[in-house]
This record gives sequence, C-alpha cells and structure tokens, in this order.
Amino acid sequence: MPKVFYTQPDGAERVVDGKVGDSVMRTAVQNGVAGIVGQCGGVLSCATCHVFLAEGELDAYPPVSEDEDEMLDCAATDREPNSRLSCQLVLREGTDVHVTIPPEQL
Amino acid sequence: MTETTERAYPPGTEYPFGPRPVHEAAEQYHRIAADRPMTKMTMPFGGDVWVIHRNQAARDMLGDTRFVREPFRTGERVVPYFVEFPDFLKTTIQFEDPPHHTKLRRLVQRSISPKRVRAMRESAVEFANHLIDEMVSKGSPANLVEEYALGLPIQMLSNLLGVPPEDRPKFERWAASTLATANMPEERIANDMLELIGYMSGLIEERRREPREDLLSDLANARDKDESLTDDEIMPIALILIIAGFDNTANFISTGVAALLHHDAQRELLLTDVDGLMPTAVEEILRHGGWALGTPVGGGGGLVPFVATEDVVIDGQLIAAGEAVLIDPTAVAHDGIVLPDDAEFDITRQNNPQLTLSYGLHHCLGAPLARMEMQVGIGELFKRLPQLRLAGEIRWNRDHLSQPMVELPVAW
Repeated sequence: MPKVFYTQPDGAERVVDGKVGDSVMRTAVQNGVAGIVGQCGGVLSCATCHVFLAEGELDAYPPVSEDEDEMLDCAATDREPNSRLSCQLVLREGTDVHVTIPPEQL
Repeated sequence: MTETTERAYPPGTEYPFGPRPVHEAAEQYHRIAADRPMTKMTMPFGGDVWVIHRNQAARDMLGDTRFVREPFRTGERVVPYFVEFPDFLKTTIQFEDPPHHTKLRRLVQRSISPKRVRAMRESAVEFANHLIDEMVSKGSPANLVEEYALGLPIQMLSNLLGVPPEDRPKFERWAASTLATANMPEERIANDMLELIGYMSGLIEERRREPREDLLSDLANARDKDESLTDDEIMPIALILIIAGFDNTANFISTGVAALLHHDAQRELLLTDVDGLMPTAVEEILRHGGWALGTPVGGGGGLVPFVATEDVVIDGQLIAAGEAVLIDPTAVAHDGIVLPDDAEFDITRQNNPQLTLSYGLHHCLGAPLARMEMQVGIGELFKRLPQLRLAGEIRWNRDHLSQPMVELPVAW
C-alpha cells in the first residue's frame, strides 16, 4: 500500500495510506488533509491542489502536460520547478510520495 | 416533559421536509443519509429528480463525466427545479459539456484564477474600508445589505470585467433585474436584459479595439487553438459572471455577518484573530451560515441537476440513463457521516468538505473570488466595528431566484 507524506507549510507532517490508482489530491481530500482543496475534482480547471513534489521523486511521474502547465501558472502560491497539481500524481504499488503543501491554495 | 413531547415534528426520514428547529433538521438529515444515499423527488417544474444526501455520493456523481447537462441546454429535457429555469440561464457555461465547456472554462479560469484573485485582494480591502467609512458617516443603524454587502462584490466584478465606474449604477440595476422571478413586470425584466446585453456588446467591441487589463478584454481577444470566441460565446459567460458574481457573494457576506451576530462566542473568538480565522470561518459560513441564524430549517434544496447518459450506480443506487440527479448542498454538509457535530457553527473547523460551491467539472468558476471577498468583506467589517450588533429583524426576498437577504439592520 503506497503511503503519501504530506508536509504542511509549518513543517507538520501527516502520513496517509493511499490506494493504488487514486491521486495524491483524492487521497488528501478523502482523508481531510488541510491545504489541498481540489475543487474541480481532478479535471485540471481549478489549480487548488498545488503541491511541491520531493525533488528525488520528480522523475517517477509523467511530465507536466500542457494543460497542467497552464493551470500551475494560475496557482495562488507561485510555482517552483518541482510544482505539480496533486490530481495528476497517481499512486502506484510500492511507491511512496512526499509532497509539501504551499501556504496558499485560494 | 420528555424530549419527545417537546418536539414539534419528530425527525423521520421523509424528504423533502418542512421547517423545523436546527437540531431536529440535522437529526432528520442524519437519519435520511443513514437510510439511503438519495431520494427521488418530484420538483415543482420538470418532473422527477434524484436528490443526493450523502457527501461522498455527491462527490462521486459530480466527478463522473457520464452525468451531463446537454439535454437541458438543447431543450430535450425540462430542468427539474424549484422554479422554471429562465431560458437565458440555459445558454450559460454551466449548461455546457466538454469539449466546449473545457474551452470556455479555461479561457475564463485564467482571468479569475487564485493567482489573479490574490492580486485583487489589496484593492478589495481598500474598497471594503471605503464602504465602511461611508456607512459610518451616515450613522448607526444601517441596512448592511444595501450599505455594504452588495457594494463590495459589485465593485470587484466591475473591476474584473472592466465596467467603467460611472456605469456601475445602471449595470447593477440591469443585473438585479435579471434575477427577479416575481413582483417585477415581465416587460421591465425583458427591457433590462436587452439593455444589459446591448451594453455588454458595446463594451466587448470596445475592448476588442482597445484591449485593457480586464476579463472582457481577455475574452474578446482570446485565442484558443487559433480560434477566437464569438460574441455569442462571450455574452453568456459575462452574464453568468454577473449573476453569480455579485448576487450570491453579497448574500454569503450578509449571511456570514448575521451568523456571527447570532453567535456571541464564535464572534468573540473571531475578534481575537480576524485575519487568522477568516479562511476557516468562510468555509463554515458557506457550509452552515444559513442554519446559524437560528431560524427553522427545511429540507429540499439543490444545485442545478445533471442527466445520466447511461445507467450509473452511485453508492449502491441505480440512476437510469436519462434520469436527472442533483445534490442538496445542505444535506451533504449535514449527513452525519463526514463531520462530527455538523449542527454546530464552528469557525475553526480545519476539515470542512462543504459543497455549496459545488465540485468537479462545474465547480463554481468564481470560487476563489467569492472566498476572497467573503474573507475581506466580513473580516474588515469586524475589525473596524467589533461592537457591531443586530438592530432589528432580518428580511429576505422570496420572489427572487436566489432568495437573497435584503435587510440586515445593524448598529455599532
């Protein structure tokens, strides 16, 4: 069972057991992880599930698509090179994910 | 006297249900959600619709692309709803499906994104304080709806769209008229709509010639895969932004202030750290603000429905192809499953999965703007006037599509 490690802007960490096939966004929303809103449900139209993915895990996921790239530009907290929309990070068997939640989502 | 005999209406599992005390309404919603995920209800217009009661079932439906709105837009199906849906509202983006919906939405999203809204915050604070100055200078008491709650969203929307300041009073009148469902002559509504559309067309044309830093300029000059938007595509977007963009937000601000004036302990808590608590307070106002006013609550509300394109099972219940389904945002915020103590007004809730602004493909386009305006509008008011208090009866306009609060008498 993959684990998702969510680090809040103040450094507090929460670990959630995820389900293969679910996204990091869906896992957060279903478990009440603060700071990830995901209001569009994962259709790349709200930019409220922005996260910073651990540098060492960037290559473990498909690259940022054109649509995701456009929405990352709309995020409330300025994007960084390791910015992703967590709705696009899908959990895989045997692969844990470490993300940091930005200070502002809305 | 036992608790049972004190009840005017013992909570059951029938839906819809008439007004009853808040805790009884919550108890009834809990029983319904425990009993079944949804109820088939016959609406005053358009026939039957499934109304979803459970939060997770609502998210599952709203996130499922097999539910669409096209049959409403084409007229193939009447929209099952509480009032007859005006035709012009069925031409708006909320009745579009992908791929056209995706194209329109992306274009607007850039202009009303969290990032753009963050940049508008400072001017919202400034304008909120300007409105408070004017209200204070006129003296206590005041009708907060007229003197404050309407002014802020209108100003922000006008700024966003690019409506010149001198045109705002007539813009406001036309826009208000489009939402009237009774007590306004049809001829006047039609005239106001025509004037508003004519005015917006002129403004779009002007922005096409001389673009500025505003949403109408963005839309008028948009290029999406080398295809510009036509006026026919821009107008419904502008209209839905006008309608949803100030009327609903003004009502959320009024409701939020009224809720806090009804809850001394929560208001006192807010005053200890207004800026720090406003984000969670706003989510709680969206979820439960209407209930926090202490007036009896009935069950049977709902957001705009969808139609199933094929047989779909949600939470064990079959929704057959062609059937309509909607969510009751009040029910899903009080299902007794997603939140503990959901009948309590608690501005510190960290996990608040309310769906008042919907979810999925059709989540509220202006949600970041609405949230910012609520945070600023309610926050600045209590910072400036911490002694604010109710000074009379609250009044609503029930002859209006969104049934807004029209009088909130306050003193300071």
